[in-house]
Amino acid sequence: MVHILGISLPDSQLARFALTSIYGIGHHTSHRLCARFQIHDRCKVKDLTPFQITAIASFLSSPKTAPPVPHYPLATPDFTPRPAKMSSHELQAEFNAAQATQRQRKQEKLLALGKALPDAKAESKTRDPLNNLKIESELRREVRENIAHQRMIGSYVGRRHAMNLPVRGQNTQSNAKTAKKLNRLNRYG
Amino acid sequence: MPATQLSHPLFESDNRHPISLPTFTPANITQDMIGQAVHFAELPNDPIKFYGTPKPLLLEYRLLSRRASVIRDVTVQTARLLDEAAQKSSKDTRIAITGSSGSGKSVLLLQAVRYCLENDWVVIYIPRAKSTVNSTTTHTYDLRTRTYLQPEYASQILRRILGVNSKLLSDINTKQSLSLERRQIPAGTSLSELATIGVKEQQLATVILDALMNELSAQKKYPVLLAIDDFQAIYKERTIYRDPHFAHIRPYHLSMPRLLLEFASGQRVFSQGAVLGAVTNTDPLFPISNELMWALGTERIHPTSPYDKMNKTLVEYTAGLKNLEVPAQFSLPEASAVFEVWMKDRAVSAPINDELFLSKYTESGGHPRSFVWKGLLATLDGEIPKYDPEVPWPQLREAVVV
Repeated sequence: MVHILGISLPDSQLARFALTSIYGIGHHTSHRLCARFQIHDRCKVKDLTPFQITAIASFLSSPKTAPPVPHYPLATPDFTPRPAKMSSHELQAEFNAAQATQRQRKQEKLLALGKALPDAKAESKTRDPLNNLKIESELRREVRENIAHQRMIGSYVGRRHAMNLPVRGQNTQSNAKTAKKLNRLNRYG
Repeated sequence: MPATQLSHPLFESDNRHPISLPTFTPANITQDMIGQAVHFAELPNDPIKFYGTPKPLLLEYRLLSRRASVIRDVTVQTARLLDEAAQKSSKDTRIAITGSSGSGKSVLLLQAVRYCLENDWVVIYIPRAKSTVNSTTTHTYDLRTRTYLQPEYASQILRRILGVNSKLLSDINTKQSLSLERRQIPAGTSLSELATIGVKEQQLATVILDALMNELSAQKKYPVLLAIDDFQAIYKERTIYRDPHFAHIRPYHLSMPRLLLEFASGQRVFSQGAVLGAVTNTDPLFPISNELMWALGTERIHPTSPYDKMNKTLVEYTAGLKNLEVPAQFSLPEASAVFEVWMKDRAVSAPINDELFLSKYTESGGHPRSFVWKGLLATLDGEIPKYDPEVPWPQLREAVVV
């Protein structure tokens, strides 16, 4: 049994499916998460390494502040790899140094063209949809706030939530059972 | 009714006697043996047991009492090609086996594997190459090789290579020492020891598989056969794997497909040996790509134009591949050999005669898979009912056949 943010994921389930049991993560987000942490499609929860589990848990605890995934280089057909005795730390250090020089050169170019301020921190604009991910309590709060906003501005939608009736124009003469049961001002609260 | 009272021979599935067929041996692959059914004998290093087979073959062998196959014209042709390839570099013998769906490509590849094994070749057979690209094994990015390593698959393939070729591998020693991050494997280690290290330590498996392939390429003691089924799967531009940015990973950026592509394109060669690939037509997830069709000159299903996009890297990896087309029809002697095998195994319910054989051959057009699965095994004809005047109720008596 693996626990992520207090939610237990059964060992025998596929990791890609098990992540959808978290509120706010559907199949597409789960696929993207698995790709980010290099989890293949048929990987079961029991096959996840401790490193992957902690990485997922730390990412989901605050997706906005997660470090962006670097663009690692990929081998061309004629690429000859470095000797096998090089340690992974050396290679990572080399890569980081190369990235840093690349960023430096980019910043200098932008400065020369007048497109960047000298003291501004290089803010990487990520188009990664996982950065804007909201789950669990944060997502529930957003839904509650949306309903509260509708009520505050006095809209039809807000009034219907307050009256526990269907909001989207459904029939009320018959068949409004789910709305009468679930529609509230403090829904999901 | 208790099982012990079921005395009809139809229920005697445990007492099946395997049918008697000659064994598949290299000496049997001659022109006069064309149209003769043979069977793959059980060996201690049986490639079918260690490497497995594609699924349709697996299902067929479950039904038959012997792992039978028929010697065809293409079998003899392939055997002669392999005999020549034993003296030449694998760069000169890189063949893709094509043909219509169900024409016998995978069976031909399996026959080639067995032929080479019994001729003392080192045999590496990958029956389902799509499992290297369909996101079913672990993949981890490696900065040193700049590819995604597949350690579990590498370890598994090393175990299988060791199982089939342990005798030959223990006879070959490494020429160069291998220095890894935390280990040193000296020169002169036998290849079977090298492979065992890769099987035991999964994180080193990919590096060791690479070193093993390098050593096999360099040695000249035994020729090497690399046989790949589902060959078209490694030529699909976008694999099912996704990188951390959710883009499809290319096959040449994954360690196993890259290894297979390098040998198939002649970028890496065995000093003696061949690379054979059998294509699968019926997998919608992995159709034959434009690059492969263009390289092999096969007939296209859809009209093509010069504006069709082709991946330049994949086109490089198809350089020098030759096409070996399997005929889509059995000849009459071949079909009759297949018919006899299924008939002896009591799989045909209809009365056995020339009429049945010729009618099924005509209905299927001699097409191998249709002849067996839609002809012989799917026939609803049964035994002609016998008239018995002693049945008490007249309406239950079978009609008299005049």
